[in-house]
Amino acid sequence: MISRKAFLKSAAVSVFSIGMGGIPAFLNRSALAAGTADAASRRKILVAIFQRGAMDGLMAVPPVDDRHLAQLRPQLYMRPGRNSSLIDLDNGFALHPAFRPFEPYFRDGSLAIVHGIGSPNTTRSHFDAQDYMESGTPFDKGTSSGWLNRAVGLSGHDPTPFQALSMTKTMPKSFYGPHPALAIEKLEDFQIGNATGGAGVASDGFEAIYMETADRLLNDTGKESFEAVRMLKSLDIDRYRPSNNARYPNTPLGQSLRQIALLIKNDVGLEVAFAESGGWDTHVRQGTEQGSFANRAADLSNSIDAFWKDLESWRDRVVVMTMTEFGRTVKENGSGGTDHGRASCMFVLGEKVRGGRVHGSIPTLAPEQLEDARDLPVTTDFRSLFAGVAGSHLDIPDGTQLFPGWKGNPMNILRG
Amino acid sequence: MINRFPGKNFGLLLLLVTAALYLMAVSQSLPENENRPTVYMPYQEAGLTKQQAALHLLNRFAFGPRPGDLQQVMEMSPEQWFARQLDRSFSNPQLDHLLSRLKTLRKSTEELAETYRQPGMVIREAVREGVLPENYTELEKSELRSKLQDYYREKGYRPLRELYAELVTQKFLRATYSDNQLQEVMTDFWFNHFNVSVTDNLARYFLTGYEMHAIRPHTLGRFEHLLMSTAKHPAMLFYLDNAQSTASDTVMITMGMNVERVAGRRAADRVMRNVQSRTKGINENYARELLELHTLGVDGGYTQQDIEELARALTGWTAYPYGRKEARRFEERYDRLSKVGFVREGDFLFRADLHDANAKTILGQSWPAGGGLKEGEEVIRMLASHPSTARHISYKLAVHFVSDDPPAALLDRMTETFLDTGGDIRSVLIELVSSPEFWDPKLLHSKIKTPFELVVSALRATGTRLESPRALYEWSSRMGEPLYACQAPTGFPDRAEEWVNAGALLNRMNFGMELAAGEIPGTRVDLPALLDQNDPESPEEALTLLSDRLLPGQHTEELQETLMTLVHDSEYRQKLESQIPDSGGERSVSNPFPKTADNSHNHTPNGNDSGKENTALLARITGIILGSPEFQRR
Repeated sequence: MISRKAFLKSAAVSVFSIGMGGIPAFLNRSALAAGTADAASRRKILVAIFQRGAMDGLMAVPPVDDRHLAQLRPQLYMRPGRNSSLIDLDNGFALHPAFRPFEPYFRDGSLAIVHGIGSPNTTRSHFDAQDYMESGTPFDKGTSSGWLNRAVGLSGHDPTPFQALSMTKTMPKSFYGPHPALAIEKLEDFQIGNATGGAGVASDGFEAIYMETADRLLNDTGKESFEAVRMLKSLDIDRYRPSNNARYPNTPLGQSLRQIALLIKNDVGLEVAFAESGGWDTHVRQGTEQGSFANRAADLSNSIDAFWKDLESWRDRVVVMTMTEFGRTVKENGSGGTDHGRASCMFVLGEKVRGGRVHGSIPTLAPEQLEDARDLPVTTDFRSLFAGVAGSHLDIPDGTQLFPGWKGNPMNILRG
Repeated sequence: MINRFPGKNFGLLLLLVTAALYLMAVSQSLPENENRPTVYMPYQEAGLTKQQAALHLLNRFAFGPRPGDLQQVMEMSPEQWFARQLDRSFSNPQLDHLLSRLKTLRKSTEELAETYRQPGMVIREAVREGVLPENYTELEKSELRSKLQDYYREKGYRPLRELYAELVTQKFLRATYSDNQLQEVMTDFWFNHFNVSVTDNLARYFLTGYEMHAIRPHTLGRFEHLLMSTAKHPAMLFYLDNAQSTASDTVMITMGMNVERVAGRRAADRVMRNVQSRTKGINENYARELLELHTLGVDGGYTQQDIEELARALTGWTAYPYGRKEARRFEERYDRLSKVGFVREGDFLFRADLHDANAKTILGQSWPAGGGLKEGEEVIRMLASHPSTARHISYKLAVHFVSDDPPAALLDRMTETFLDTGGDIRSVLIELVSSPEFWDPKLLHSKIKTPFELVVSALRATGTRLESPRALYEWSSRMGEPLYACQAPTGFPDRAEEWVNAGALLNRMNFGMELAAGEIPGTRVDLPALLDQNDPESPEEALTLLSDRLLPGQHTEELQETLMTLVHDSEYRQKLESQIPDSGGERSVSNPFPKTADNSHNHTPNGNDSGKENTALLARITGIILGSPEFQRR
């Protein structure tokens, strides 16, 4: 908990100032904001998007010529060819049409796909697999920190209130751990006691008692909250206009990315941002060109597309990476959907990404090539990708510190 | 338990049967008074006073104390109070009166299914009856809407949000007002354990019946009954897709096997050809969560093979198709269908034409071919009494009632009791409160309240009158707990770090401030009444009196000292006493409750305009206490 020092310092100042005759605590904010903005500017930013529910990688990026896929998926298979809606990626793979906004980025070489990626732990439980992917220790349930929290720590930068931010109602396990992180669903709701008048009654009162409490968890979280509130107050978040006419979908993911872009442009010291995309657990009526999968895919790609357009002049500092806990059965199930499988695919977007390629490998989908004769086998450990991205983007040289117990090599996915 | 399909007066009969089953279930789990266990609670050995013990019970087995509750539990004795909670023997005439206005609570699943219908089905029906043209999508939006509205009215159909609003309302009313608090705490707990969600397009129509019939009667009974009643309920069958899980088209089905026995091979082949188009294969979703979440736990020792075999054993477990064409077909042919293995039990339907008849092996135990419905029931009973289940359920109960990291020795004893008593939940709870671990002084106030627990405990502590939970529902969502809408089958988390984060914490503080200021529509706070009209003469006195009322029996010296320093600051004091302005109205959030005049703002917490400044002071101090670290724990 060493790096909470910065908070303790400024917190002590603000409580003291109330005691000394009511200098409002937020007067400190300009000094604070100035200091952090300076220190934090030009920092690199990693945006992680977790696709909860397990995306069907074989529908997202199908190996088009695999006859087994056509056989095993009578309802879900999409035929390649002249009249096909599939987007041909030229190397035996195609992109599902709902990911069309990704196509230009793949063509210009800034979007990479990693296929056959997943966890070495064969669990097909969403909750275990998500936990393992977020802790980054696929065989150890006892890990108390998340890999993104460790990444923030290993970056070695001075903490700022918005260094690690999750745009979610609850803190994702990826951010559990000793380094401060925020979970905020909506920035505009992130304030104290405005409705009940008497400016500062609530914020000063709460700040005082949360600073004093012996309750460690509430004390830590309280400090982080008050610092962030002060910093946020100095920004003009209500009148944010995305650049380039970027249009964010009015969906949870679209709005999360919009707010992340706002914070990036305000240079609040954001380094790791986390957002979620839900609804990938397509057990029933998954659909093809249209349907539940296509809807999720469209939301994901439209949201990321808007974000990338909005951040055009910031792209040298930002990498976006998607992740999902596992893939889905190669064979479709009895209700037009797919059940829990093993490997899936992930997307990485950034100027230095070795893009325009499908990295990793998947075998032909003959039963004897599949894991447990049913699932796409995992040929790339997710830690290899995560270490490759975080390692070079956030400047963390040693992947084994990020992923305790891991002996693999980081994937060479970003150019130096 | 098989209801033969009774023909014309079916609706009424079904209602009676459902009511009878409900009463049976309730009376089964209500023990005779003389059987009331004498519970021994070693709180004195742990160094706790009777008052501390009473408070701990109210924090853990109730939604926090109301004014006077602490005194009452001490007078009755903590042991006696807990025994009465286990018996659910308090009567609540006022609550019953409030609940009697909620019509959907007393309706059968069939009645609800006929009134609250999927919009798509209503449109198809309207087209069939010529009310809407085939090309209705080309109609003007307003015309389509008004035609549909008329059709809804004519048919007596109602919008889903009405059903959902009443479900949420009864939850708030019961948790706030019921004297049988443990029943409400356990209902919340088990619903969350066997989570189903309003976010599911099919399950959402069945949540009311699920809570009333599958959960509430069994909260303190045997675990096996809970497991079986949830497994057979339409809400669960739809939510985890088991209703869509069928034998694959290459295997022998139960109906075919039965036909072969009676009418020979050729007749069976005909049947098989007939149903093959409907049998597409298993869907593993329910089988997996049944093992992982409901029974053994993720480390309970099962394999992917077990999941697939279990899914096969549960093929054909579906919901009775209320309000659909198939229902009439079943009704007409039920006699014949039951001879080939179909079984209807209330809302549950076992379809022999979709059930995989081949042999199965699950967790090392084998079932021969042709087991039909009984096979799945036996598997569920086996799972309910499995040692891993005993451990997993004991763990979840201990996390909820004792600590985020419950002591292993306590878990061992609870697990043993679970196994010795055939999964009797009462006995496991008695083991829990009889343990020294439960009374460990280090664990008092160690559990973070869930958002719902926070909201209800704040209403109870302040003696707030609840008129409509519309806005409270929004607050609970904003703090991270949208009621009945947890999409994942895990249910909401039960550990501190999952609830406490910057965004949620600020919302907790804001909730406290707004409730106390009378700013939350549908709630009536009366702070002068809370202080028995003792008008405090200074902010210091207000602070002392309110701490005592809102956090009775708790150590609040630190909190009071910190706040006292603030209150002594003249500028802060001025702000404390300034008037509370009109707020700009409520935010729009998706919410099942209609906006009505009842929900209008209530700006003067004490109901009159005199002493506004004093009221503002009381409201602000109350708000800060409700938002304090001390009030976030139970």
